[in-house]
Amino acid sequence: MIKWLSNRVMVVPVDFSDLSLAALDEALELAPDAGWVHVIHVLPVLEATEPGVIWGTVDDESRARHALQALDERLSDARYNNLHKAIAFGDPGHEIAEYARHHRAALIVLPSHGRTGLKRLLIGSVAERVVRLAHCPVLVLKE
Amino acid sequence: MLRGSLRSLVFRPKVILPLGAAALLLGCLAIFTPASAEDPLPPQAADQAAQPVAGPPEWIGPIDEFFGNYLVTPLDMILMYDFGTGKQLGAEIPFVVAWLFAGAVFFTLRMGFINVRAFWHAVRLTRGDYDKGEHAGEISHFQALSSALSATVGLGNIAGVAIAIGVGGPGAVLWLIVAGLLGMSSKFAECSLGMLYRKIDVDGRVSGGPMHYLEDGLAELGWKPLGKVLALVFTVMCIGGSLGGGCAFQVGQSLNAIKLQIPWLNHYPQTYGFLMAFLAGIVIIGGIRRIASVADKIVPVMCGLYVLACLYILLSNYDRILPAFGTILDGAFTGEGIAGGAIGVMVTGIKRAAFSNEAGVGSAAIAHSAAKTKEPISEGIVALLEPFIDTVVVCTMTGLVIVITGAYDRSVPLFADLIDTKQGAALTSRAFETQVSWFPWLLCVTVFLFAYSTVISWSYYGERCWCRLFGVRWSLAYKLLFLVFVVLGSIVTEGNILDFSDMMILSMAFPNILGVALLSGKVRMRLNDYWRRYRAGEFEQHGIQ
Repeated sequence: MIKWLSNRVMVVPVDFSDLSLAALDEALELAPDAGWVHVIHVLPVLEATEPGVIWGTVDDESRARHALQALDERLSDARYNNLHKAIAFGDPGHEIAEYARHHRAALIVLPSHGRTGLKRLLIGSVAERVVRLAHCPVLVLKE
Repeated sequence: MLRGSLRSLVFRPKVILPLGAAALLLGCLAIFTPASAEDPLPPQAADQAAQPVAGPPEWIGPIDEFFGNYLVTPLDMILMYDFGTGKQLGAEIPFVVAWLFAGAVFFTLRMGFINVRAFWHAVRLTRGDYDKGEHAGEISHFQALSSALSATVGLGNIAGVAIAIGVGGPGAVLWLIVAGLLGMSSKFAECSLGMLYRKIDVDGRVSGGPMHYLEDGLAELGWKPLGKVLALVFTVMCIGGSLGGGCAFQVGQSLNAIKLQIPWLNHYPQTYGFLMAFLAGIVIIGGIRRIASVADKIVPVMCGLYVLACLYILLSNYDRILPAFGTILDGAFTGEGIAGGAIGVMVTGIKRAAFSNEAGVGSAAIAHSAAKTKEPISEGIVALLEPFIDTVVVCTMTGLVIVITGAYDRSVPLFADLIDTKQGAALTSRAFETQVSWFPWLLCVTVFLFAYSTVISWSYYGERCWCRLFGVRWSLAYKLLFLVFVVLGSIVTEGNILDFSDMMILSMAFPNILGVALLSGKVRMRLNDYWRRYRAGEFEQHGIQ
C-alpha cells in the first residue's frame, strides 16, 4: 500500500470533527511523507442575504482566511507540519471529488459519520457522494 | 450532482440575467397590453382601482379550505383563546396578545426600565462612539441595527397601522406607542441572549437567534428537553412566518398601494408577484449580492423620506395636531363605537405593534447576533432602538396622518371599504392623497422598497431556520417555496393561507418569550455587570473591546 502511494497525492477532508481528525492520522500512517497528504475543508456557499455579505464585511476570501487559520490552530502539532491545506466552497461531496481529480490524487481517506434514519435522509452521507463521484479509490473508515 | 448541474446551468448570472430580461419583457408586455375588450377600465378607474378585478384562480379554493380546516382553526383556538374575557369584560383578550403584553411588561420590570435608562447609551453605541478593536462578528452595531430594521420596517408600519386604526379607531395609536415602548425591553432581552449564545463558525461567520439560545441556554439551566422542544417549535414557526408575514403579506399589501396608482395591476396582479419573485430570486438563488446590499441600505433613507412626508402633512395641518392627540386619548380609554370598547382598542394596538416591531417574536435576534463586539449586552442595548424607530416613530407618523386626514372615518364609503377589506396600505395612500396629489407615488416607491427589503431579510431568517431543521443541502427547496409564496402573495390577498402565515409570526412569541423569561436572570446578571462598568466610565476610556 505504502509503495503504491509513494509520490502520489492523498486527499483527506476535515470538518474539524474528532472522526475526521482520526482519519487524518490514519492517512498520515499510510503516506510515506506528510507532504503528499492534502487536507481539504469545504465551506457552504455564502448566502447573498447574510448581513455580513450585505455590508461587504464577509466574503469567500475572508472566510478562507479564517478557516485556514482554524486549520493551522487545530493541526499545530509537528506531525502535521508538511500537510497541504485547502479550502473549497460548495457541496462537500462534489468539491472533495473535484479537488482529488484536479490534483490527480491516488486515494481519498474519510470517515463515515454513521448517521442513520431521518438525519441520514436529510443531511445525507458525504462519504457516499464522494465514493460515487471520485475518480480514484476511496477509503471509508468506520468508527 | 443533478442539483449542482442545474444550479450551474440555470442560476449563473450570465444565464439568469437574460432569463430575467425575458421575464421582465414579458411582464412589460403584460403591463402595456390593454385589458380585455369585454372588461375595459373606465377613465375614472383611479377611484375604483382599490377593488380587485382579477380574483384568485380556482385551484386556490381547495388549498385555502385545507389551510382553514386543519391549520387555521386549531391555531386560532390556541392563539385567540380569550379565557372567558369576552363574556366577563365584554371584550376578548386573545391569549397571544396577553402573552406579548405580559412579556413586555415583565422584561421592562425585570431589566429595571432598560428601555428608558439605556436609551442615550444605545444612541451612542449605534453611532460608533464605543467602537474599538477587532472582535469576533461580522458587522458594526449600526450595520446590525440597519439589517434588523430592514426586516422590521415593512408594510406593518404603513398597512398594519392603518388596519389597526380602521378596526380599533384612533385610540389604537396610543396602544401602539405603549406597546412599542415596552417592546424595547423584550427586544433588549432577546437580542442580548442572541449574542450570548451565538456560534462563530470556523470561517468567521456568526449564527445566532432563538433556535440557539432556547436550546443551549435552557440546557445550561438543566432543562434540556424543554429547550429542544421550544427551539424546534420556534424554528418551525419562523419558517411559516417567513413565508407569510415576512413575504406574502408584504407582497399583497404593497400591491394594494401600488395598484391605486397603476390600475392595470388590478387585471394582472400576478405580474407584480412575478416581478417581485424575479427580483427576490436573483438575490436568494442567483446570489447577486449587490442588489440585496443596495436594497438593505436604502431602507433607512426611505424611512427618513417617509417620516419627512408624514411630517410635511402634519405641519401643514398643525392646527389639527393637538385635537388629533385628544381624539387618540379619548379613543384609547373610551373605545366609543369600537367592538370590545377600550379593551378592544388596546388589543388591536398591541397586536399590530407586535406584528410591526416583532418585539418578543425573536426574529431580530438572528440579525443582531452578527454584530462585531465582545460585549453581548451592548448589542441588546442597540437593539432596543428598533421598536422605538419602527413603532414609536414610524408607526406613530402613519397613525397621526390617518387620524388628521380622517381616513379612518367609516362614514366615507371608500374608506369603509378599504378598512373592511383590510387594504391598509391603500388606506394610507388615500390619506396621503387628500393632502398632496403626488404623495401616493412617493408611497408607491416606499412600499415597494420596504416590501422588497423585508422579503429579502425574512428569506434569510427563514432559510437559517430551514437549514437548521433540514440541513444546508435542502436550502434550495426552501428558496423555491419562498418564491412560490411571493407570487401567492400577489394572487391571494385574503383568506386562510394568509391568516395561517400571519399567525405563525405571532406564534413565534410563545416559545421565545417563555425561553427568554426563564433565561432573564442570566441577562439581568450580565446587564448589572455591564452597567456597573459603564457607570464607572470604563468604556469611555477603552471603548468596548
